[in-house]
Parts: sequence; structure tokens; C-alpha cells
Amino acid sequence: MIHIENLTVQFGAVKPLDNLNVTLDARICGLIGPNGAGKTTLLNVLSGFITPVSGRIDVDGTDLLSLSPIQRVGLGLRRSFQTEQVVEDLSVYDNVLSLLDHVGVRGEEAAGQVSRALHFAGLAGIASQLGGELNLYQRRMLEIARALVGGPRIVLFDEPGAGMTENEGQTLRETLLAIPDEFGPQVLLIDHDVDLISATCEKTLVLDFGQYLTYGPTASVLADDIVRKAYLGME
Amino acid sequence: MSRAIIREDVIPMPNRYRTLLEIPVAMALVMLVVVSTANAYWISTFTSALALALAARGIGVLYGLLGLVSLCQFALIGIGGWMMLRLSHGTGLPFEINVLIAGVTAAGVGVVWGAPALRLKGLYLALVTLMLAGAYQVVISATGFPDGGAGFLGRADATQRLMLERPVIATSNSSYLVYCAIWATGGFMLAEWLRVTKMGRSWAMIRKDDNTARSVGVNLLTYKIIAFAFAGFLAGVGGALLAGGVGQLDGRAFAASESLFLFALSVVAGVYHWYGALIAGLLLRAVPSLLTDFEINGYVAIIFYGSALMHALITAPRGIAGQISNLIGKIRTIAIPGTGRQAL
Repeated sequence: MIHIENLTVQFGAVKPLDNLNVTLDARICGLIGPNGAGKTTLLNVLSGFITPVSGRIDVDGTDLLSLSPIQRVGLGLRRSFQTEQVVEDLSVYDNVLSLLDHVGVRGEEAAGQVSRALHFAGLAGIASQLGGELNLYQRRMLEIARALVGGPRIVLFDEPGAGMTENEGQTLRETLLAIPDEFGPQVLLIDHDVDLISATCEKTLVLDFGQYLTYGPTASVLADDIVRKAYLGME
Repeated sequence: MSRAIIREDVIPMPNRYRTLLEIPVAMALVMLVVVSTANAYWISTFTSALALALAARGIGVLYGLLGLVSLCQFALIGIGGWMMLRLSHGTGLPFEINVLIAGVTAAGVGVVWGAPALRLKGLYLALVTLMLAGAYQVVISATGFPDGGAGFLGRADATQRLMLERPVIATSNSSYLVYCAIWATGGFMLAEWLRVTKMGRSWAMIRKDDNTARSVGVNLLTYKIIAFAFAGFLAGVGGALLAGGVGQLDGRAFAASESLFLFALSVVAGVYHWYGALIAGLLLRAVPSLLTDFEINGYVAIIFYGSALMHALITAPRGIAGQISNLIGKIRTIAIPGTGRQAL
């Protein structure tokens, strides 16, 4: 569970996040909002890449903001990026192993975890291929696999479905839905695909210009008039 | 797909260590050919090329694995050479110990000079390191290399200058070439071993993006420092071997422009493969020698270097070694179907 209190991020006169208060308690939480709403900024704050000017983030009793980005990885924080970040010169296997290198998992235990994640993501058959040889779908799935090793507690996905075909999107939905049961972490998902959000997220947080708009069960959030007007562009 | 069912079959780890065995075999073959065919002039040229190849491998680590442009590696060769000469003339330590101390000294300087990389990247880092190479040029031009004299600088007058003694097992030119080849093989293997282990994976993550690296737990500071130290160590060892080959070093040979040539030719030769460093060393030393053989001014090599760099950047970004690697991959695919390009 992620508890966010009075969180403000400020760059000069701009406030990408403005006094955000919310408790993200669903196993899979959606995060939506128009461009510039502060979605990725929130993920970057959670990852430790951006330091807020004020506020507190509590993850299962741990003060997240007191930890360095590396310590957060040790705590079990994982993430993917809007622009996929597969390393082209590393094999699929080593792309996943690169995370375990830094959380103290080695040898047979590491091999087991990498194998499990690659089987889960449907990449077991191409484990020895180079990252540079993968198509976009495989790269996205590889990022998911990398986020699922080393005992993940919170997984942040930033538009994992971007650029996928309908069939690939369907597989992605099934994959995301299975993550909490199979690997145990809470998932925070940003995506502009409302169908993906409604099919996978139990609850959804809506941001607008860095401010909290609403948070609740996804179906009711998406039916909310304010959300429909602010985000979906419907009157 | 595999949504609900997770198969626990453990996937075998990719075979990453094959190259480690290829290096000594390839180096032994190259040395066999060179020692049995080359004359004294070319033996000397190949010896210098091997020493420079070690420094080029360091550039391969920094640029090929981390994406960092360091333009002071030739100056680090000079630091290794200076330390080697100073220790050899001033102490009775064995040659090999002196080589290692020279490498460690250059590693230390490499870390200090690489410190800007913790904040800078790209052009700015390149400029800062080039200025450091320029600073070294000024200092070494003024002080010169130790040649058997007393005091910290170890400078003697013209009548007393001493040549560096080679190790007892490698006093002849041919045996010293083999001796250098053993050091170079060790350096290449160490670099390759680092590349395929946790270190190399972390460096690859840093090259991709700093935040990507942080997101998998890579400590940027630690891994960048290790890379600069290792590249400095290789350059220092190269400088020490160079000093042993020539017997003395000339401060005028360590201009900042040499660091530029070394970097440019490392890119031309290929920074992503171990033998790219060997090719870089050969380009830097063999091309001027070849031109001399044909009675062409050696400085024409600079035009060749510039043209080669332009060609590499436009048509072969992975360099000559990358093209050789692709060719080997194609031959393998034809000879043994199903074994094309594989992850190492």
C-alpha cells in the first residue's frame, strides 16, 4: 500500500504535482490524466529520480523518500519506462539478470528467478537473443520480466502497452492481471488506453494539472462526469 | 502464451565465456605469424602496437561499454611510462612489479581525471579530458621522462642517460614482443571477463541511460569509477611496456593530439570487440611504418585516420572489428546452420 501525503513537486513556477494526498490500496492501481497531469512525475518521485519539495510517501510503513533510488530497488521497487529501456547488447537473459546483480540474488536462485520471469513473459524461447534483435512487443514484455525478479513489492509501469497491436494488448492485459497472484507486488499502471486500465485496474487515480481529481473503483472513476470532462473530453 | 501457468524449467545461462578462450588462441596465432615473418623494424612496430592496444581496450571499455568519451588515454600511457622508468631506474624491483605499479598509478590518475564523468557526459566530458591531456603535454614537455638521474624527476645529463633494462626472459626484440603479447592477452581477457559479468551488465545499463541503470540498482558512482580505474590501469601497463620496448620515452611523443588519434582509431577499429583494440594499435603504429616503407611521409597517416574515421562513422559504426564479426557470423551461419549472431 502506498500512502502519499501533501506531496508537492516544483520546478521554478511550475508544480507538476501539487499537494497530492491519496492512499493507493488496490493490488493493481491505474493512474490516468491528460498530458502534463503529473503521472510520470509521480512515478519518478516514487523511483527517487525527482525529489519533491514537500510531502511524505509511506510504503508498508517505510518512509520511501528517505531512501536512495538504489535502496528503493532493494526494498522491491521496480519500474518500466515510457520509452522502452531494453539494453541492445545484452541478451534477453542478461537484461533480466542485470537487476538481480544488485539485490543480492546469485547462482541457482538467480537462474530460477530469471527463468520464471521469462516463462511468465513468454520470452523463454528467445532468452539468448540480443535485446537489439527484439521487436517492440518483446521489448515491452522483457521490461515486465525484468520488473518481476528479486522480490518485487511495487511495480510501476509507464505506458507498457504503447505501440502494441490489439492481440498483443490482449496478452499484455492477461499478463498484468496475473502479476499480483504470481509474483506478489502491487502494480501501479499508467496508460492512455482506457480499455487496458478498465480491464486490469481495480482502482484508478486521476490527476489533472498535478492535482488530485479522484480515486476509486475504476468503473465508477471512468463514469465520473468530472473525469469524463477533464480526461476523456466528453461533455 | 504463459499467463496462468508458470513453468519452472530453468533456462540455461547463455555461454558468455567463449570469447575468453578465443583471445589467447587468436593472440598466439598472430604472434606466431609475426615472430616468424617480421623483420626487426616490424617486430618493434608490433611491440609498440600491442602496448597501445592495451590503452585502446581501455577506450573500448569506457566508450564501447559505458558510452563515455575520454580523450586523455594517451596521457595515461605517458603516466604509466613515467612511473615505469622512474621505478626501474630508482629501485631494484622486478620488471613485472614495476609494470603493475605503473598500471595502478595510471589507474589512480585515471580515476581523478575521470571524476568529471560523474557529472558530465558527451562533448563536455570529452573537452575536459582533452584539456587534461593538454595539461599533461605541458608538464611532460617541461620535465621529461626519467632517464637514470637523481631526485624525484630522475633526469640525468646527456652523457649519463640510461636505457630501461628489459626483463631477463625477454631481452631480444622477438622475445619482448611475445612478452608484451602475454601482457596484452591478460589485459584483453580481463576486460572481456569484466564485460560478461555483473560489471559489464552494469556498465551496459549505464550506457543505456543513467535512470535505467538506477532503476535496476546500479550505483553509478562506483561503476564509473571502476571503469576509469580499469581503463587507466590498461593504459598505464601499456605505457610501461612501451617504455620497456624503446628503453626511453620522449616527452614530445605525448602530445594531446595523440589521445585524439588513439580515440579516433579505436572507433575506426571497433570498440565493441576485443580485437578492435589490437587493430587500433596496429593502425596507430603500423600505418605510419607502412607509409615509411613506401617512402611516403608518415604524417600522411593523419589524412588516412581522418578519412577512416569519417568512413567508420557513416558506414560502419561498429568499426572494422564489427565488420569482421559480422563476416564470421555469416560464415558460421552458412557452415553450421542455426548458429548466427549470438549473445555473448
